[in-house]
Amino acid sequence: MKISLNWLKEYIELNDLSVDEIEEKLTIAGLEVEEVIDQNKIFENFVIGYVKEKHKHPNADKLSLCIVDDGENELSVVCGAPNVDQGQNVVLAKVGAAIPGSDIIVKAVKLRGEKSEGMICSEKELGISDNHEGIMVLEGDFTPGQSLSDALGLNDVVYDIDITPNRPDALSHVGVARDLSAMLNRELRKPVVELEEDEIESKKYAQVIIENAEACPRYVGKVVTGVTIAESPGWLKKRLTSIGLRPINNVVDVTNFIQQELGQPLHAFDLDQLAKSKIVVKSAQSGEKFVTLDSKEHEMSEDNLMICDGEKAVAIAGVMGGENSEVTVDTKNILIESAFFTSASVRKTSKKLGLSTDSSYRFERGTNPDNVVLAARRAAQLIAELGNGKIAKGEIDAYPEELKKLKVKLRYSRIERILGYFIAPDKVQSILNSLEIPVVGSDDESVTCEIPKFRPDIEREVDLIEEVARINGYDKIPSVDRVNITLDPKIDQTQKGENIRYALKELGFREIITNSLLNNEVAKKFGKPISSLNPQTIEMTNTRTSLIPGMLTTISKNIKVREVNLNYFEVGNTFISNNEGEINSFDDITEHENLLLAITGKQRDDEWYGKGRAYGIYDLKGLVQDFMTKIQLDKETRYQYNRQNNSIYEQSIELFVQDVQVGIGGELSREVLNYFDISQKVFLFNIDLDVLRQFEKKERKFNDLLKFPKVVRDFSCVLDKKVKSEKVISVIKKSTSKLLKSVKLFDIFESDSLGKAKKSLAFQLEFFDETRTLTDEEVSKEFWKAIESVKKEFNAQLRGA
Amino acid sequence: MKEKIQEIKKDFDDNLKSVSDLKALEELRLKFLSRKGQVTQLFDAFKALPTEEKKLYGKEVNVFRNTLQTKYDKLKADLEAAKVDEKDVIDLTLPGRRKELGSLHILSQTLYEIKEIFKSLGFSVYIGPEMESDHNNFEMLNFPADHPARDMQDTFFINDDFLLRTHTSPVQVRLMETSKPPLRAIMPGKVYRNEAISAKSYCLFHQVEGLYVDTNVTFAELKGTLIAFAKQYFGEDVKYRFRPSFFPFTEPSAEVDLWWEPKGKEGRWMEILGCGMVDPNVLENCGIDSEQYTGYAFGMGVERIAMRKYGIDDIRVFFDNDKRFLTQF
Repeated sequence: MKISLNWLKEYIELNDLSVDEIEEKLTIAGLEVEEVIDQNKIFENFVIGYVKEKHKHPNADKLSLCIVDDGENELSVVCGAPNVDQGQNVVLAKVGAAIPGSDIIVKAVKLRGEKSEGMICSEKELGISDNHEGIMVLEGDFTPGQSLSDALGLNDVVYDIDITPNRPDALSHVGVARDLSAMLNRELRKPVVELEEDEIESKKYAQVIIENAEACPRYVGKVVTGVTIAESPGWLKKRLTSIGLRPINNVVDVTNFIQQELGQPLHAFDLDQLAKSKIVVKSAQSGEKFVTLDSKEHEMSEDNLMICDGEKAVAIAGVMGGENSEVTVDTKNILIESAFFTSASVRKTSKKLGLSTDSSYRFERGTNPDNVVLAARRAAQLIAELGNGKIAKGEIDAYPEELKKLKVKLRYSRIERILGYFIAPDKVQSILNSLEIPVVGSDDESVTCEIPKFRPDIEREVDLIEEVARINGYDKIPSVDRVNITLDPKIDQTQKGENIRYALKELGFREIITNSLLNNEVAKKFGKPISSLNPQTIEMTNTRTSLIPGMLTTISKNIKVREVNLNYFEVGNTFISNNEGEINSFDDITEHENLLLAITGKQRDDEWYGKGRAYGIYDLKGLVQDFMTKIQLDKETRYQYNRQNNSIYEQSIELFVQDVQVGIGGELSREVLNYFDISQKVFLFNIDLDVLRQFEKKERKFNDLLKFPKVVRDFSCVLDKKVKSEKVISVIKKSTSKLLKSVKLFDIFESDSLGKAKKSLAFQLEFFDETRTLTDEEVSKEFWKAIESVKKEFNAQLRGA
Repeated sequence: MKEKIQEIKKDFDDNLKSVSDLKALEELRLKFLSRKGQVTQLFDAFKALPTEEKKLYGKEVNVFRNTLQTKYDKLKADLEAAKVDEKDVIDLTLPGRRKELGSLHILSQTLYEIKEIFKSLGFSVYIGPEMESDHNNFEMLNFPADHPARDMQDTFFINDDFLLRTHTSPVQVRLMETSKPPLRAIMPGKVYRNEAISAKSYCLFHQVEGLYVDTNVTFAELKGTLIAFAKQYFGEDVKYRFRPSFFPFTEPSAEVDLWWEPKGKEGRWMEILGCGMVDPNVLENCGIDSEQYTGYAFGMGVERIAMRKYGIDDIRVFFDNDKRFLTQF
């Protein structure tokens, strides 16, 4: 919310504080200043200039050459505006001036050969209006050299404050002044309303009936008659424009002014447009159509509260008035609405209609029912003053049931218990009083407050503690320099994820983190997706069903910037619907942590010592094997191969641990790659970490290392090309005793010389026993058993042993 | 004899041609000129010849041996000379043979650094699901339905009851519902905000939630703990401030700003985390007696912290995963 410093100063003395000091005070009071717009700073180097002479530019038809008096010197300034003339007072941007809202800094330059030592400005260039038809010519008495801020009163400072939702009391200039008065311990000067009222009572002009008192506990109407609708005077327009509001006419401007001054939203009705001079506050009829001030039609429902006259709806309560009863140039008699609508009711309507206004914003957060009469009177005062109207006597105050004030007890001991330091009781009381939270009772241990209606956020003891802490200053809260630590065993549920990331780092992978939101088309390729009700864009309608799209998008982007050799991984959650997208309980969601490995391009760049080798399927498998070794599950791991193209992979490798599938990967299919605009081969492997977790090793056991030498024997044999190496190894293992500790395939040779569709495989067998040295004979016996079984099983021929 | 000499000579010359280093030359010497070499053997054969034949071949054999020896000596000298040059030829300015290095994403690194500090202060670490119930994400945390406080966190809703969590605070709820105080834990993870993607905001980011509930927890302890963290992470001289703020689940609430002077720019306060004393309503919602127990909670943005630490000014670079970015960390 924008707060004007000049305006604020009406209610509290601040002249001795700098702009920065006030900003600091507001922020440490909890009214966080997000931006300071200081006109004095903006209009530094802008002065009143007097045009002494105007000549035609010798080298340009449309330019003039002016001699401008800036109070000290006579400057030569080139100007392009047709309306510039001798004898004018103008706004001169001197050398060094920064033109607001642009990057332009005025410099001394030569324009078409003539010296120009400044710039004569238009209103648009100054950011005061949209008028850019020529330069701004000032009427009245001005002195050359006078600063623009002084001359035009452009010396305001506007604080843009982020008011948190719990502080509706601070959504006005008086409200902000109240906090400052408490912070600075200074007097708060609230506006005084003294009215000269007519004899005829407001009640005689109109009648107010509340049908829905739950949504509208109080409605005050006040009448002003014989008003002349006109432009607002300068002081009022300036107040409104300073905080970015557009002046409309004296009546509307007054209602807006009071909303910003007191925080009470008001509405002005043309009394003569209200049928039967009646206001009826009631729920809308379902399907009812209503046209608001901005000429938009809305369809209402039963939970929308409407303001109606004797026949029809005239406003959406607390949100916006209707076209049919708005104040126009012909309006004479005004009914001022100053009401208290409940926040729930206004919020519901505002959300439903997608219509948020300054008024609904305040009602949603909570306004003050005890403020409505004052606001109505203040509005009547100003409208009568500015429009020569007569104020009808008294108010129509429909208030079926008075809202009681809450009493809250605050224990001094509890302050210390929560904040960790002691605040003296008289200090506590003075802080509460300075916030206009009256103390209505106290004893040695506690104080009891009556909570004013402008503080709907204060309901409990702890809420009062916050007020005391806030005004006393958070910097006064000490910070302890030691803490107690319990000695129970600590849990770290992220430790496994961290171990996995470091394991992959050691294997040379780089971690990426991608968006978890996807478009529906992609999401559904990888599983039953879950969609969001209110996506930001159509590219982000669903939660990801797989890490693959994010990875491929990343790879594609990298390739476009010529980073073509990549080995990436991501660890992240995927979301699959178990119930056709319907989510009624957590059981309908499978949210699993997954790991996706990706390799593409070459293992490394080409270097002087050799070309980089292109990544292939065996690199992928090797990396998966290395990973499984790192997490100590390599012994329980089994791979299964699927030659069928499954639309994602050309052919896939499935990873099993103890007969449970934990992962799948392979070379990506062309179709998928094309979708992501990738032309090079990509190899991916996905592991479901939540499934893998059940096999995690709890402890590691020392394996007694070998005291006795191992015996190594090699043999090679020729067999059919189709025979899978894994099969041969399993036959070798089966045929031998436990003395055989490992079998390694160390050479593959294919040649026509071996026979058609034949290949030669060479195996290395390692034998040992943990308890003794093996004899040659027993090793040979095992070795030959292995060879014989291979020969028999695969019709293989021994090439050498 | 004559033929034999010719044969050896030819063999020697052939061998000599292929000698390119001292090792091969030594092999040549062993084959021909050593004590068991062919030339020596030829001499032995010569010695066994009858006298008149000795006369006939004597000179020839000697010349033959000397020729071979000369050729050998010359080549040896040449090779030795060349060998000295070889050292100069080694170009150690060439880059070494290297392996591709791996790396953790800078957000993971930052998260683990934060985690280590809090673990050293006695915190456990818990995680929870990203797809949460409205109940855990809002209601239990004292965000009433239809309250403007809900506007503080733009939410991706799945339906009326489920959503993508907007903060890691629902993990607090899960922890408090299942465990008894004292509870001291941090809860890191991804959170989602339904905001347009820009340099300042992304639709998701990472948060580290902190919670401590016990019989004697105060704001002063919260302050001490967070200052200890800030000093350890950003350095002893870090400048900070606590200022009042509002979160439905804490009361009193605060935000912590750190002073930041980006290179060549004016210094400013940068909001780094939100915190406060756990609201009694939240404790009661989770079945904890709010008169007996008090607690504090805090939540910090990992991206913010990394941006502050490394001088990153656009949040999107974290999620673009450009290799040129990843290799910097």
